[in-house]
Amino acid sequence: MARLRYADAITSALREEMLADDRVFIAGEEVGQYLGTLGVTSGFLKEFGPMRVVDTPISEVGILGLGIGSAMAGLRPVCEMMRMDFAMVAYDQVINHAAKIRYMFGGQFKVPMVIRGPSGVGRQLSAQHSQSLEVLFAHVPGLKVVMPATPADMKGLLKTAMRDDNPVIVMEALRLYFEKPDVLDAILPGLSEVPDDPDFTVPFGKANVLRAGTDVTLIGYSAMTIQCLKAANILAQEGISAEVVDLRTLLPLDMATPIASIKKTHRAVVVQEQWGLYGCAAEISAQIAERAFYDLDAPVQRVTGAFVPMPFARNLENISFPSEHDIVIAAKRTLGR
Amino acid sequence: MAKKPTLDLTKYVRFYEQMVYIREFEELIGKEWNNAAAHGMGGYMHLYSGEEAIAVGLIGGMDLSAGDCFIGHYRDHGYALAAGSDPGEVMAEICGKATGCSKGKGGSMHICDAARGFYGGYGIVGGNVPIALGLGWALKYRNQKNVCACFFGDGSMNQGAFHETLNMAQLYKVPVIFALENNGYAMGTSIERSHANQDLRSRVDSFAMRSVTINGQDIFEVHEQMAQIIQEMKEDPHPVFVEFKTYRYHGHGAADTPVTQSTYRTRDEVARAKEEKDPIKFAQAKLIELGVLTDEMITDIQSRAYASAEAAMKFSDDSPYPDPSELIKDVYA
Repeated sequence: MARLRYADAITSALREEMLADDRVFIAGEEVGQYLGTLGVTSGFLKEFGPMRVVDTPISEVGILGLGIGSAMAGLRPVCEMMRMDFAMVAYDQVINHAAKIRYMFGGQFKVPMVIRGPSGVGRQLSAQHSQSLEVLFAHVPGLKVVMPATPADMKGLLKTAMRDDNPVIVMEALRLYFEKPDVLDAILPGLSEVPDDPDFTVPFGKANVLRAGTDVTLIGYSAMTIQCLKAANILAQEGISAEVVDLRTLLPLDMATPIASIKKTHRAVVVQEQWGLYGCAAEISAQIAERAFYDLDAPVQRVTGAFVPMPFARNLENISFPSEHDIVIAAKRTLGR
Repeated sequence: MAKKPTLDLTKYVRFYEQMVYIREFEELIGKEWNNAAAHGMGGYMHLYSGEEAIAVGLIGGMDLSAGDCFIGHYRDHGYALAAGSDPGEVMAEICGKATGCSKGKGGSMHICDAARGFYGGYGIVGGNVPIALGLGWALKYRNQKNVCACFFGDGSMNQGAFHETLNMAQLYKVPVIFALENNGYAMGTSIERSHANQDLRSRVDSFAMRSVTINGQDIFEVHEQMAQIIQEMKEDPHPVFVEFKTYRYHGHGAADTPVTQSTYRTRDEVARAKEEKDPIKFAQAKLIELGVLTDEMITDIQSRAYASAEAAMKFSDDSPYPDPSELIKDVYA
């Protein structure tokens, strides 16, 4: 077991898959000579050369077109979005093309590509660099959407994404990128541990019970899973046993695991980093209502971000997304406390 | 002294025949549109009549069995037929049948043929252009001596995707032919009303890309020039922008009726184009003059082409619609 930061897990997954499969190449802004905007591809250009580590102009449409076409022709591109917000510039390539090609051509082609990049709140990057737009991808058939919370899942899910035959959106929590292993392990022992085995992968569509509990189920994904773990620690001090379910992938979505947990705890809190209206937490809550209504002892609670563009001021940013305390309050509400 | 290469006239008779086959195929669809529902046709229907020499001459200059490939837009029936796709499967797709090349899930705008390197027709104007960059990149990545052709219309050149792609294509020297079919209209909007600079070829000068203008109504010019360019691209991979000047006979799509067409072009203009610029008439006259085509052959080709289109329609009519179980298949690989 290695103790890694989330960003190191990204580097490790990319490098191992590039070594294992020469069809894999990375394309994006500043991925090569600049050593990666956040350093995850540092040294890659030297190791793999310019055909496999492709510095691109600031042209997201071009980057994704490069990915889609080469994937259809049998390569396995990894397209980096410097920020997932920038994928909006090329939304047409993702939604109208990558997601549709398999179906609208009757299965004649596949598009084995990864679109990955940092996403979400947490570094005072304000309105255009802090969004968590997974809803916009998870709504669309033909895509897969991956949102890892731990270094091990970051590595294992990214490797699975790179081996998948479909377009996979991997949204990486910028908030977690450089979190030190010690800090992670203080939240939950072993949280920073990543298996050394180069064949270690994590399957899609299999949620993970990160912490067992009996009183309430906290459901999260990506950075919000870490918030849930922190909330569970606080609740434990107050004698409340919270089970934390990390969804890992939104598409495919594993509802069996959270529902099995709810059948045990009879209470559920669903946490989503950004806007709740029409969001992933809403979908998950609806599925719980459909499939486990009679197991519930209290209404499902959603904890979501403020319905505003991300503000810059640190104090405003800090209150714009769910804190562990918000989750604690919601959990207690399900317990009538 | 190098001798001017002589034309392979047998090849041009074959091209002529292909153009007639495409024309008959499209005209049959146009005729049967009155009875669309009975055949399973619906939605939009973009016909290629008038532009046949481009697909036939360019695709005819590629070696599809050796790895050359191409990608198109929604006016795509002609590409498949020029590549040798089965007309029955193309017609069945147009009619939403299970035997269609895309299993009836794509329709008229989404014809494809992976086995012949046809990476499909796309419905978003300009959206296929970035994908061609990736197809060309894959050729370069594998050191293949191949080219990829990307067909698009004048409307695509006003999309940002086009400009991002051409910049990157030239930057990376990918072997892609950017084949502009300039038929003068983006749906109902003329070049004059949509391009600040109406010399479309000059718009790509800013990318320092090799470019050429070709009379898209002249199969000889299309093919001779493209065959030469493709050979050079295979020796030294680079992108080329080609402006084919052409004209479309039908409305933009089936919904563009004579009434809506009257908002942007006159009947007289269409009639004149058919009279003066028709690629089939042009090829016919030249091949007769060259002594390789006779009236008898013309009649024979015409009737075989018509029979082929009819047979394709019959194949489609006899084919079942997709099984309801197909609804949820092929979403993921």
